[in-house]
Amino acid sequence: MNDRSRNIKRAIDWGQLAPLNVHARAVADGLYVGVHRSPRRGPGVEFGGHRAYLPGDDLRWLDRRALMRHGRLLVREFETDTDRAMRLIVDASASMGYRSEHAPAAKIAYASLLAAALARVALSGGDPVALDWFGGTDRRPLPAMGGREAFERIVAALEGAQPGGEMQQDVRAVDRAFAPIAHHARRGSIIVLFSDLLDLPEGTLDRFLALSARGRILVVVQVLDPAERRFPFRGPLRLRASEGSVLVETDGEAVREEYLQRLAALTGVWSERMKSVGGRLVEATTDGDPVDDVRAVLAAISGETL
Amino acid sequence: MSFVFAAALAIAVLASLPVLAHLLRRSTAEEREFPAAHLVPTAQPVARKRRKLEDRALLAARFLLILALAVLGATPLVRCSRLSLERDGGASVALALVLDDSHSMRTQMPDGKRRWDAAVGGARELLDAARNGDAIAIVLAGKPARLVMPATTDLDQVRETLSDLKISDRSTDLDAAVKLAEASVAPLPHKDRRIVLLSDLAGRVPKATKIPLTAPLEALAKSAADCGIVSAVRLGRRATLRVACNSSSAAKGRTATIVLTEAAAPAADGATTGKSGEELGQVPLEHRGGVQELNVELPVPVGRMNATLSGRDALAENDTAPVAPESGKLGVGVVRDAATTSVVTGGATIIEQALASLQRDIGIFPHQLLPDQTAALNQHALLIIDDPAGLVAEARIALTEWLKRGRVAITLVGPRAEAAPLGSTFEPFARGALRWQKTSAHGADPASLSMLGEASSSLKDLEPNGRALLAAAMPPEGEVLGKWDDGEPFATVAPVGRGLVLTTSLPASLAESDFPLRPGFLALLSHALDEAERRAGPRRSIAGETWTFPATANVVLRGPGATQLQTARNAGADDQTVVVAEAGRYSVDVDGDITERFVHYAEEELTLLPSPQDAQDAIGSRVAVQSKVDASRELALLCLLLFGVEVGLRALRSLRKAALSA
Repeated sequence: MNDRSRNIKRAIDWGQLAPLNVHARAVADGLYVGVHRSPRRGPGVEFGGHRAYLPGDDLRWLDRRALMRHGRLLVREFETDTDRAMRLIVDASASMGYRSEHAPAAKIAYASLLAAALARVALSGGDPVALDWFGGTDRRPLPAMGGREAFERIVAALEGAQPGGEMQQDVRAVDRAFAPIAHHARRGSIIVLFSDLLDLPEGTLDRFLALSARGRILVVVQVLDPAERRFPFRGPLRLRASEGSVLVETDGEAVREEYLQRLAALTGVWSERMKSVGGRLVEATTDGDPVDDVRAVLAAISGETL
Repeated sequence: MSFVFAAALAIAVLASLPVLAHLLRRSTAEEREFPAAHLVPTAQPVARKRRKLEDRALLAARFLLILALAVLGATPLVRCSRLSLERDGGASVALALVLDDSHSMRTQMPDGKRRWDAAVGGARELLDAARNGDAIAIVLAGKPARLVMPATTDLDQVRETLSDLKISDRSTDLDAAVKLAEASVAPLPHKDRRIVLLSDLAGRVPKATKIPLTAPLEALAKSAADCGIVSAVRLGRRATLRVACNSSSAAKGRTATIVLTEAAAPAADGATTGKSGEELGQVPLEHRGGVQELNVELPVPVGRMNATLSGRDALAENDTAPVAPESGKLGVGVVRDAATTSVVTGGATIIEQALASLQRDIGIFPHQLLPDQTAALNQHALLIIDDPAGLVAEARIALTEWLKRGRVAITLVGPRAEAAPLGSTFEPFARGALRWQKTSAHGADPASLSMLGEASSSLKDLEPNGRALLAAAMPPEGEVLGKWDDGEPFATVAPVGRGLVLTTSLPASLAESDFPLRPGFLALLSHALDEAERRAGPRRSIAGETWTFPATANVVLRGPGATQLQTARNAGADDQTVVVAEAGRYSVDVDGDITERFVHYAEEELTLLPSPQDAQDAIGSRVAVQSKVDASRELALLCLLLFGVEVGLRALRSLRKAALSA
């Protein structure tokens, strides 16, 4: 495929996931979340447990009785029901438009489904939701907003986007995507990035982790196609990357093991670095169960381990 | 090959598709998008090597499967050349194989095989299909038709006979051959009797036969354009060629050329004819079928020559023929006095005109005097001497020597016998001198001249002025050939060595009688010619004719290509014979007397094409001889086997992949 053809914009291959709003509602309704409880701990009325004191903690929450009784510095935590803005960042680069032969939909479609479902869950809990983009064309970022119309607008924005563009060498595109988030995201916001983590320019991880300042919670949902997750190819192959000019001639069976190791290494790096800032990485595959994936994301936001 | 058959076989072209697909697939792998391509290591050599080894077996299986399917599709329509015998309830069969060994069977078929070889091959296939109890006869259809193997159940003997058969240049005699075949199997007790005609059907094909007739090899009856030289004869400074073509297309653009093969001695004026291989002249063929006579002017003197046709056709053997010299005809010498034997209207003498009226293939050489050297007589097979005044000693010796070699001489004794010079006698025709006298006899007794047939009656009222008295001078071994009505010998005959002398008591002069104008005179000349021909042999014959020689003669025969032929001595007969089946130049040595003879093709053999209707009738009446091979069952099994192989290979591949995935 030449450069010209590669620059042609392509619509999202929704596959079996269309229409998005119906599927997103179904996924969200499939979750038992009750009233959304913001996972942010801090000043509140309902006791949330103890934790070890860390330098810088507000001394007002230091549990003096525990200190007297156990001789240890413990801080009392309280759960609060305050609204927590959720910022959804969707990677719409060219590679997210990929859909293999047996996949139900393109990666961006699945990412949009998860994002929409997550937005619905957040909105139903009263939290405002913002939408940001990472690459792609015809994208419409949405500021944090709540209410009934917010979900429809988010779905419309997700449906209107088109995957495209190459980000592999364009670290400034990353900066352009993350800079407004760093500026607008309030303390304690939840930032969820939906991306395949492939073809990202060097330094993307560092820039994303920088968003964890001000108590923001970071979650990365790595959305991969089944072919990318399992590499089922056999025999002679000529593989062309969606972005860049990489063309690999290889043999399916012979390199499967090594490919999976490399992918695991890439995912491992993101996972480890995310953990270092209190964030989580959730692995999703487009042929997986979106309910489980959304549940995993919610669990990651809550800091639980599934 | 029918259209459907060709279409079915065309499926075989599809066999190339897996090969093509495999080659394309092996050479360049399909390019596909994969976002994580930069995580995939390259492994090209390993991939290609393994792919190549794995796919070959599958490829071969699919290739063979498609081929087998194509052949399977075509098999019910294919007419295989392999012949077999269908049996009615497994009963034994009486089979007469009529093999056409005529010249046209030398024709090359489109597949490069000669018709004869295909016919013999077909006969062998039928023999292979024969079982113990089957009776087989072999008849050859070359003229004259011959039964070479009477019906026998000894199949080994039939095979042996079949392997000894050879093609010839004879003409075709299918009618007689089929009758012979019928006669050979008719008396057999087998209920199932058949005649199998392995011929190109160029000739009259019998329509109704008592025994079912079949001609299973259709390919033999397919027409092939051919021109051939029937005969080539030199007449003075001209060579006359008879060329026969079976179609106008065969004659198109071709020329006949006379080529010198052996130069003659220079003429008296020193003129030479050139070197061996030199072209002496050529003439184009008319663009038409049938027989055409062509003349080519020649230099004098000439030597041995061949006539050749330019271009190529289906039968190359008949495109070249030796040119027979004028003496190829039976030579007849006539010693006469032109003054006494000429007619008042002029022209040739009575004897010469009588000989010409016989319309025999002879050359007439008039002499004023009897040659007194044997060499001068050698060109003649028959010598007619009219009213000689005796023979001088030298002439007698030369004549006797010449006669002993198997020649014939006839003397018409006239009034000059009375005026024989001193020292002249009539030996070897008669002892001593002969007397001429007036007679009151009316004519010859027809009953005593029965060898002349009905023409003898024309001699009964000759009313001659005089006659020679032969009775008193008959040679010791002489016999009376015919008598006058008063009992005196009208003609006598006596052997001289292998030769023969005839003497009549009347000359050819009209002044003495009108004997030379009577049909009996022509019959007498014809009888003498027959005798001469029988002894000297015909100089030009048609392939398939029989040459006869005296039983006591030492005969050495060499045919075309210097092959030696053996004569057959027939029991109870006073002669030995040989059948000349090959066309060409023959050298005949009879007791040291060497002559050349020429054997030609029969014109109809070169011009006749199989009648489409006859061929269709004969081929269409195929009876109980199977010419199809139905291999459907075997091919179907092969297809099934190949399909099983493919399934097995695919299963093996799946297992391997599963193992790899695990």
